Amino acid sequence: MSATAQNGFKKYIPGLILCMILGWSALQWDYTMRGWQKDFKECQKILKGNADHNSPLPFDKYKAKHAEKYKEQQLLYNQGTLKKEPKKPHILKQDIYASLIAAGEIPFKFKFGSKMLEFQLTYVAILLLGGMLIRNTIGIPDSFKPGTVLARPIIKPGIVLLGGYYVWSNVLKVGVPALLLVVIFIFGTVVLVSIIGKKLKLDEGLIGVMAAGTGVCGVSAAVAVAPIVKSKPRDFFYAVGTILLFGTLALFTFPYIGKALGMSEPVFGAWVGTSILNTAQLVAAASWYGHDSLLTANIINIVRVGFIPIVVLYCIWFYIVKKAAAEGRSEKMNTWQVIVDKFPLFILGFFVMVTLNEFGVFTKEHQYIFGKQFLKLFFAIGFAGVGLNIAFDDLKKAGGKAFIIGLFAATFKAVLSAIVVILLGTDVFKVK
Amino acid sequence: MEEETREYEEKAKKVFSAERKEDIWVLIISAITVILGLTGIITKKTFPSLFF
Repeated sequence: MSATAQNGFKKYIPGLILCMILGWSALQWDYTMRGWQKDFKECQKILKGNADHNSPLPFDKYKAKHAEKYKEQQLLYNQGTLKKEPKKPHILKQDIYASLIAAGEIPFKFKFGSKMLEFQLTYVAILLLGGMLIRNTIGIPDSFKPGTVLARPIIKPGIVLLGGYYVWSNVLKVGVPALLLVVIFIFGTVVLVSIIGKKLKLDEGLIGVMAAGTGVCGVSAAVAVAPIVKSKPRDFFYAVGTILLFGTLALFTFPYIGKALGMSEPVFGAWVGTSILNTAQLVAAASWYGHDSLLTANIINIVRVGFIPIVVLYCIWFYIVKKAAAEGRSEKMNTWQVIVDKFPLFILGFFVMVTLNEFGVFTKEHQYIFGKQFLKLFFAIGFAGVGLNIAFDDLKKAGGKAFIIGLFAATFKAVLSAIVVILLGTDVFKVK
Repeated sequence: MEEETREYEEKAKKVFSAERKEDIWVLIISAITVILGLTGIITKKTFPSLFF
């Protein structure tokens, strides 16, 4: 490695280490809270059982009773009577069991763990809220910033690994309605932005950037389209600020709105997949809500980011080829080159994982390791980067006429897509 | 103004080329994880062993 390359990478190290430490700490919190929540539920069961029978079992009998029940369930599963593979029973430690029986009350820490998860204070929330708090109060030194920016895409290997959870029939089941939703909402948003933009007599470049940004995939699409539509630099930065502002607002409010509206996990996944524009924010919101929500949102996101080259092609045709034809000139469009240049490559990794799973390469254990455990590791580092990069100063850049268009487009898209996904229901979006 | 626009176009191109490099790294990291999992170097117990 050359000296320049070494120095180039060195600048990322402090920020990356910070994100790894924060990510690990949040996962440790999550791991402990989940353990306490399991203990809480088990304590509740024991106390209820004692109240019903009036005679607490000795620890050995309690343990043997669980083991026996698990064996029975496994037998039923092997015979095919039970559809879902039984989970290993959660058994309290002997000292905890003894103190529970003696006191007749659930220890405070177990209640605390259960409450924290009830309020959805998982590792996702801790990292996003904590990161944002650090960035906007004590701040982070400049030497840490490049690494925290680099940490954000570490979410993507998690998205790829999650591919091992699906078979092609799952992807197609959710992918087909997702494709329809994405197409309808992309064109719906593009048309809406164009109508509002023309009414406000805005510059064509700004309309193009906002249409791509609010319609397809946030900043990536805006960056891809900006040079083509020749948007002015100031308008472009307004547009990016606006897209980030709405993404951040959605990230922190949608999980609670989803709960308030009683959305199931798959329906919520479909909603955020359609209405949140930025991949990292979308994945964070879906993970916050639950694993099934993430499974659905991931497919919709893959379908949507796959549309970036198509939107770029459309913009080239609309802003260059069509315009040139109207002026009596001839401009050619190299379709294949645009697709090759703008296609988000990581999607291919996701498809390879789905195919490997289809061929039975992954066992259930592999799926668990990749899709639940290591996914969390990658997401935790990435979410730390996302949280630490939510700077209120950047969000204040949202402004100008981009803000008005963004406000209309994002609100319209969020409300309409919520209505549509709720009407379509859980079955349409449930992956498994 | 033209100079500013040209500089910014260059910047946009750089951002996109950085995203392409980023995606290649994503594929490499994912492939390494899958290989480690399939060869049994990382198991179900690896993740819990990282925490207290």
